[in-house]
Amino acid sequence: MSDVKESFEPKIIAFCCNWCSYAGADLAGSMRLKYPPNVLPIRVMCSGRISPHFILKAFQKGADGVLVTGCHYGDCHYIKGNYITKRRVTIMKDLLKFIGIDSRRLKADWVAGSEGDKWARVATEFTEEIRALGPSPLRG
Amino acid sequence: MDKLRNYVKELLESGEITGFLGLIDDGGHPIPHLFTKEHIDRLNDLVVPDFRYPMTDILLKIVRKYPESTIGVMVRGCDDRALIELAKNQKIMSDLIRPVGVACSKEMAESCRCSQPYPREIHYGEKVEGVQDRSDLEEVESMDLSGRLDYWMGQFSKCIKCYGCRNICSMCFCDQCTLEDETLVMTGQTPPEIPIFHLIRAFHMAGRCIDCGLCEEACPAHIPLRSLYRKVREDMANYLGYVTGKDEYEKDPLEFLGSEGYEVPSKIDET
Ligand code: SF4
Ligand code: SF4
Ligand code: FES
Repeated sequence: MSDVKESFEPKIIAFCCNWCSYAGADLAGSMRLKYPPNVLPIRVMCSGRISPHFILKAFQKGADGVLVTGCHYGDCHYIKGNYITKRRVTIMKDLLKFIGIDSRRLKADWVAGSEGDKWARVATEFTEEIRALGPSPLRG
Repeated sequence: MDKLRNYVKELLESGEITGFLGLIDDGGHPIPHLFTKEHIDRLNDLVVPDFRYPMTDILLKIVRKYPESTIGVMVRGCDDRALIELAKNQKIMSDLIRPVGVACSKEMAESCRCSQPYPREIHYGEKVEGVQDRSDLEEVESMDLSGRLDYWMGQFSKCIKCYGCRNICSMCFCDQCTLEDETLVMTGQTPPEIPIFHLIRAFHMAGRCIDCGLCEEACPAHIPLRSLYRKVREDMANYLGYVTGKDEYEKDPLEFLGSEGYEVPSKIDET
């Protein structure tokens, strides 16, 4: 079992908003900070654009974890996108748990454009958490 | 019953409403009927059967055709909650709708496991207390994660993608349905892609579902759909203090942040 887990490379989809978290991820790259290649960032204009359906689609297509990121509260460039995001993710986590998917596979976090280091940390920690959880039960 | 008929008759004859949407008995089958002043005698056939009919679905069609008219409609508790949500979502104008309320019997309330088996205003029947029963949720919650997933995947795999759950739902009023969006759910197969097909609908029902249970009644595959929607309904209440179908002027917190500022309730951050 431990062998399986060690050789398991999680697939993680990270939705990032254009203005803060994507810039943060970009900065992490320019700063040459390391974060796991398991994390695939997908840029959207605002975390509020991340339809709950996108999250479901990612899991349906075999993502082991989904990271939803945006600007810090008060910093959203569309004013309130990230508040809505937080609410949606909360309800979604509980729905996932109810049907038998570990709710830790979905996480929302906020990363500013200047926080390249935070991005690298969040991406690394989430990857490790998912690695410990093992492959998603929905993986085909 | 005569009291109800007379009440509707008065509404029609006084011109307070131009039409009344109720049910008539058609050879043992109650079917919807739009009563008018011109055919007032038809009211003798008005019935209140011992089961439900998706009244607001029909109402929407009438309202689209006669947007300026005032229409009366027979509503039970669930239909009335639907009216509140339809008004909130600008599908009807409350001023142009005259609900004629029917309270459900104890037997019906119990078989529907209905938490509020009566409308805001009652014109027919006696009000009985609602049933508080979350045993369906508890049953799922008693399983561990993998047990739950096995259970739900087993249920979902029975789906024949008839869309009955969506079609009967008074809250499914979108012009375009995500369930038919092939970029999200693969088309052309039964069962549909699972669990996404059922989870898209489940999430969409957060802040929408008024817990009438018609979807589960309609599902030919006997999938316990209502538990999914009851779960998100409960979450909306627990995390966001929002109960669907309660107050026309309270906005869905998944769509509107409200005027109180943008704070995320502290309860949310714990999860
Ligand atoms: S119980 Fe089913 S049919 Fe009724 S509002 Fe909820 S989802 Fe729609
Ligand atoms: S009513 Fe039942 S079988 Fe038909 S689409 Fe809905 S879940 Fe599937
Ligand atoms: S623009 Fe970053 S969360 Fe809205």
